[in-house]
Amino acid sequence: MMPMRHGLMLIAPLALVLAGFFLIPVLMLLPTSFGEYLPGSGVVKGVWTLENYTRIITDEYYREVVWRTLGLGLFVTLVCLVLGYPLAYLIARGPERWRLPLILLVIFPMMLNLVVRSFGWIALLANRGLVNNLLIQTGLISAPIKLMFNLTGLMIGMTHIYLPFMVLMLVAAIRNVPRDVEAAAATLGSSRLHVFTSVTLPLSAPGILAGSILVFVLTISALVTPRMLGGPTYKVMATLIYDEYMQLLDWPSGSALSFALTAMAIGIIWLSSRLTKQWAGMA
Amino acid sequence: MSTDGETHPGLGVTIAAFAVIVFLQVPVVVVILAAFSTTSYLTIPPQGLTLSWFGKVLSDPTYLSAIRMSLILAFGSTAISLALGVAAAYALFRRSVPGSEAIISFLMAPLVLPAVVIGVALLQFFSLTGLRGSLVGLLLAHVVITVPYIVRSALASLSGLDLAVEEAARVLGATGFEAFRLVTLPLIRPGLVAGALFAFITSLDNVPVTIFLIGANQTTLPVLIFSSVEMGVDPSVAAVSTLLIVATGIVLLLAERRAGFHRFV
Repeated sequence: MMPMRHGLMLIAPLALVLAGFFLIPVLMLLPTSFGEYLPGSGVVKGVWTLENYTRIITDEYYREVVWRTLGLGLFVTLVCLVLGYPLAYLIARGPERWRLPLILLVIFPMMLNLVVRSFGWIALLANRGLVNNLLIQTGLISAPIKLMFNLTGLMIGMTHIYLPFMVLMLVAAIRNVPRDVEAAAATLGSSRLHVFTSVTLPLSAPGILAGSILVFVLTISALVTPRMLGGPTYKVMATLIYDEYMQLLDWPSGSALSFALTAMAIGIIWLSSRLTKQWAGMA
Repeated sequence: MSTDGETHPGLGVTIAAFAVIVFLQVPVVVVILAAFSTTSYLTIPPQGLTLSWFGKVLSDPTYLSAIRMSLILAFGSTAISLALGVAAAYALFRRSVPGSEAIISFLMAPLVLPAVVIGVALLQFFSLTGLRGSLVGLLLAHVVITVPYIVRSALASLSGLDLAVEEAARVLGATGFEAFRLVTLPLIRPGLVAGALFAFITSLDNVPVTIFLIGANQTTLPVLIFSSVEMGVDPSVAAVSTLLIVATGIVLLLAERRAGFHRFV
C-alpha cells in the first residue's frame, strides 16, 4: 500500500492546476452573471440582478436561440443514430477483415481538425460551392439554393462532425450483445428483422442511450461548426456567448448564458445516468 | 454454422453502411481537391491544377508563426498533461487517497463543461490576473482541456494491471519510482500513447478556449483558419487544411501500427 502522503504529493500538482485554471475561473464567472451591464461603460459596480437569467426565458430572441440549440441537438442525435447504426452493425457483425479498415475510416475524420472539416462543408454548401455548382450544371436548379447560414447547413455539418462518436459507441454496444442469444432466437424461427428488433436492439439500448447523450451534449456545446456554417447571424447558444463576449462585450449576459448552457449539458447527463441506473435495476 | 449466418448483416445494411463511410470522407476529399484547384471555388471537373497555394502558405509568415504556436502548445501541453495526469492516475490506482471517485470526477470535469464556457471563464480570469496573451497561461489552459484524456487512458491501462508485478520488483530491491518506471510504465505504454495522441489532437484542434485567450499578435493554426474563413473562402486555407489532413492520416496510421490505436478509441 502506498502511504497517503505520497499519494497526495502525486495528485496535488494536477489538482492545483485544475483548481487555479478551471474551478476558480468558472466560480469567478458566477458573480459576473448577476451583474448589470451598461453599454459603453461595462459592468456596474455593486448592483446585483437576476435579469441576465430571466432574459434567456422572457426575451423572444434568446428563447428562439435556446430552442434552436436544443432542436439542433435532438435532430443531429436522431440522424446520427439512424446513419450510425447500420455502419456500427457492419463493423461489429460483418466480416472480420473489413473491421479494421472501416474503424480507421470512422476514426480518421474524427481525428481531423474541426476547422478543416467545417471548411470542407463550406466548400460543399456555399452558394458557389460544389453542391450548388453540380445542381446548376446538371440543370436541376437555375439559381443556387441556400444551404449555409441556416438550419440546413448546421444540421448537415454537425451530423457529419459527431457521427463518428455515435458509431464508435454503437459498435461497443452491439459487440456486447451475446451472439448466441441472437443465434438462439434465429434457431427458434425468428426472422432476421425480428431477431434484430427483439434481441439486438433492446440489448444494445444502454449503448444507444450513451451515444445519444454524448452526441446531444457535444452538439449543443459546439461553437466552431455553428459559427463557420451559420455565419455571424444564424446563432446557437455557444455562438451567442461568443458574440456577447467578443462583439458586445456584455460579459454579464454572456456568463449567464454560459451557466444556462452548462446546466443543460449537466442536466442531460444526470438524467441519463438516472435512467441507466433504473434500467440496471429492472434487469 | 447456418444459424450463425442469420445474424450477419444483410446486403441492405452493408450498402447503407458504405454510403455512410463515403459521407464521412466527402468533405476531406473536397478540401484536398480545392487545394490543388486554380479557381477559388471548386468546380467539377476542376478548372486546372496548381501547387501555388501550398507555396503561398509555406512562405506566409502569418501561417508559419501560427503553425509554430500550435505545435508549441500541443507538444507542451501534452508533455505537462502526461506528467501530471499519469502521476495523479497512479496515486488513484494505488488507492492511496480517500474519495478517489470524487477526485476522478473533478479531474474529468473539463470534458463535461462546454469548451466555450471554459474559454470565457479563463478570459475573465486572465484579464484580472494579466495572463492574457502569455504563453504560460495558454499552456495551462490547454493542460486543463487535454489532461482528462491522459487521466482516463492511464486509469484504464492501470486497471488491467496486476500489482503483484510491481511488488515483485520492490522485493528484488527496486525503489518505488524504479519499480514504476521499469515495470509499470512499459506495461501501460500503449494506452498512454493513445491518450497522449488524443491530448495532442485536442490541443491542436482547439478554438473555443484558445480564441478568448490569445494576445493581439498571437494566433494558432485552427484559430487562423477559423477567422480567415469569416473573411471569405481562400484556397490557401484548403492548402493548409490538406497539410493537416496528410499529417493526421500519417499519425493515425503510425499510432495504429505501433500501439493498435483503434482499441483505445
